[in-house]
Amino acid sequence: MKTTLHFQDADTFYEQLLDAHTGLDREQSELLNARLILLLANQIGDARVLGECVAAARTLPPG
Amino acid sequence: MSTPASYGETAFTNGYEFTQGAGYCLPEYPFTEPPELKSGEVRRHKVVIVGAGITGLTMACCLARLGVEAVLLDEDNTVGVKGAASRGICYTQKSLEIFHRLGVYERIAAKGIQWSVGRTFAGKDEVYSFDLRKQSNFDRSIQPPFINIQQFYIEGYLVERIYGLGHVDLRWKSRVVGFEQHKDFATLTVETPAGQYKLEAEHVIDASGSHTPFHAWCGATMTSRRGDDRWCIADVRFKNLPPTERHTWIEAPFNGNRAVWQHLMADDVWRIDYQMEPHADPEYVSREEVVRERLRQQFGPDVECEIVWVGPYAYRSQCLDKLRIGSVFFMGDTAKIVSPFGARGGNTGVSDADNLAWKLAAVLKGRAPASLLESYNEERHEAAAQNVQVTNRTARFLRPAEGMERLFRKAAISLARQYHFARQLINTGRMAVANSYTHSSICDRTGGQSVQNVAFRWADGSKGGVNDLLAWADGGLLVLLFGDMPSTACQRLKQLATHAPVHCVQVVGPDNRAGALEHVLDPHGHLQGACHVFGHAWALIRPDGYLAATGESVDTGLIQAVQRSLGIKQ
Repeated sequence: MKTTLHFQDADTFYEQLLDAHTGLDREQSELLNARLILLLANQIGDARVLGECVAAARTLPPG
Repeated sequence: MSTPASYGETAFTNGYEFTQGAGYCLPEYPFTEPPELKSGEVRRHKVVIVGAGITGLTMACCLARLGVEAVLLDEDNTVGVKGAASRGICYTQKSLEIFHRLGVYERIAAKGIQWSVGRTFAGKDEVYSFDLRKQSNFDRSIQPPFINIQQFYIEGYLVERIYGLGHVDLRWKSRVVGFEQHKDFATLTVETPAGQYKLEAEHVIDASGSHTPFHAWCGATMTSRRGDDRWCIADVRFKNLPPTERHTWIEAPFNGNRAVWQHLMADDVWRIDYQMEPHADPEYVSREEVVRERLRQQFGPDVECEIVWVGPYAYRSQCLDKLRIGSVFFMGDTAKIVSPFGARGGNTGVSDADNLAWKLAAVLKGRAPASLLESYNEERHEAAAQNVQVTNRTARFLRPAEGMERLFRKAAISLARQYHFARQLINTGRMAVANSYTHSSICDRTGGQSVQNVAFRWADGSKGGVNDLLAWADGGLLVLLFGDMPSTACQRLKQLATHAPVHCVQVVGPDNRAGALEHVLDPHGHLQGACHVFGHAWALIRPDGYLAATGESVDTGLIQAVQRSLGIKQ
């Protein structure tokens, strides 16, 4: 799992993500997120990287 | 004692996991008073198998074919559960290859239905379809990818085959009611219509199914999981036949957007499985008028059909921590229990039996040390755990928890309609395969995979298959030597064959020359492909059609692989 910067353009992606949710209710937003996770996961493919990403997402920083 | 099936009056009943019905009329076998009851003598047997289901009968038939004496005890006097479900319906290529070795495949193929096309639907639309015949890994074997047939037919064929082969004493109406483990053997108490008796067994094979008493007797530990998913089976004969395909609905509009399975079997009987609401009343869902209404919803108001058998069921998953305790070996449903998705129940039991039988025969014939039997647990526990994991994943897809699990399923289904990659996330059952052994003490890291029953040519040009070579090896190991044969290699192999239960054959490809050893022709490289080797190489194949090891040159590495595959510690 990469933890160093790999985005070509982080600000644009973040904006796209927020814009995609504009006007959606909670249920629609959750479905969008779930679809996006599955689409992105398929881009990664690598089982070890995916496993590390899932584990990392569960681990919140202290405090 | 032939194996006919006629169809009796339909019984609609409400058993929880098994129903009592009269849909199928099953053959009955005679109870013969065992000699122990007359003489009062307690006899010690090398092998006693408990349970004449598909697993126990496969075990008995494997042993009979290898000439090993055994006693088979079954509490009933028939195959199947009297008058009840057709139970297992779908038999994998690996199982069919095993049945071929046992001599019952031709009857199964003649009675059963071959299928290769499967379609999965959500709502009114097809999400994806597959054709197994177009998947390259299936088309090499002499046996087809799958045959669907009612389980009791296979059991009936096995019974008749065992009677023909001899060696196994089939004791019907013999229920084991007591068990005592001693140092090197166990004592079983058997109840029969003529009274009780005791017998001793050096090896007890528990193939008595999910309600086995041996778990408690042996103190077996296990991991179990029980969900709230409920299904109702209808075995149906239609006047107008649906297509010869496996259809699965994840969300069927004609079943309250719950899952439906549509599978075909012998005698033009179709198995339709309906997923019910959680905690549905099994008595209600299996009433004739309720079943007929579901069929009308699915096939249209004018559907004409005869309902052969109906039964509700719930499933649990369970995996024993160890498949051997003392003298007792657990196999089939006593080793693990899985949900029915992917045909991983009965097929796993058949492979359990095939795995243990050759090892037991080798030990009892003095060809291998008793330590070889430890590998049964290593190999088949890995298979059991994997099948439990795979089927649990399917069950979770089909009955997702409310909230996030259901949401992800919705996301996966919607993506699968749009993009090819997402079809892989749709899990309506991963069809059973021959499990590989990755941490067996008797397999090299180059081995552990099943070798398909591929075809080759004998030296005279006639057609043969891997199973013919295994039959020739007669319970011993088989060394295939691919490519040209240096004379040193030939001498070493001949010497090896005099010291160990090994049969050696040269496999001559299009660019090779036959050497001094017996040889077969592999003009298309199918045999080589099935053994996962390239160029000049050897493959060591076990009697269960699994690779023990592969290598390049005929040297001490091969000798060590032979010793290792027989459980000889190095």
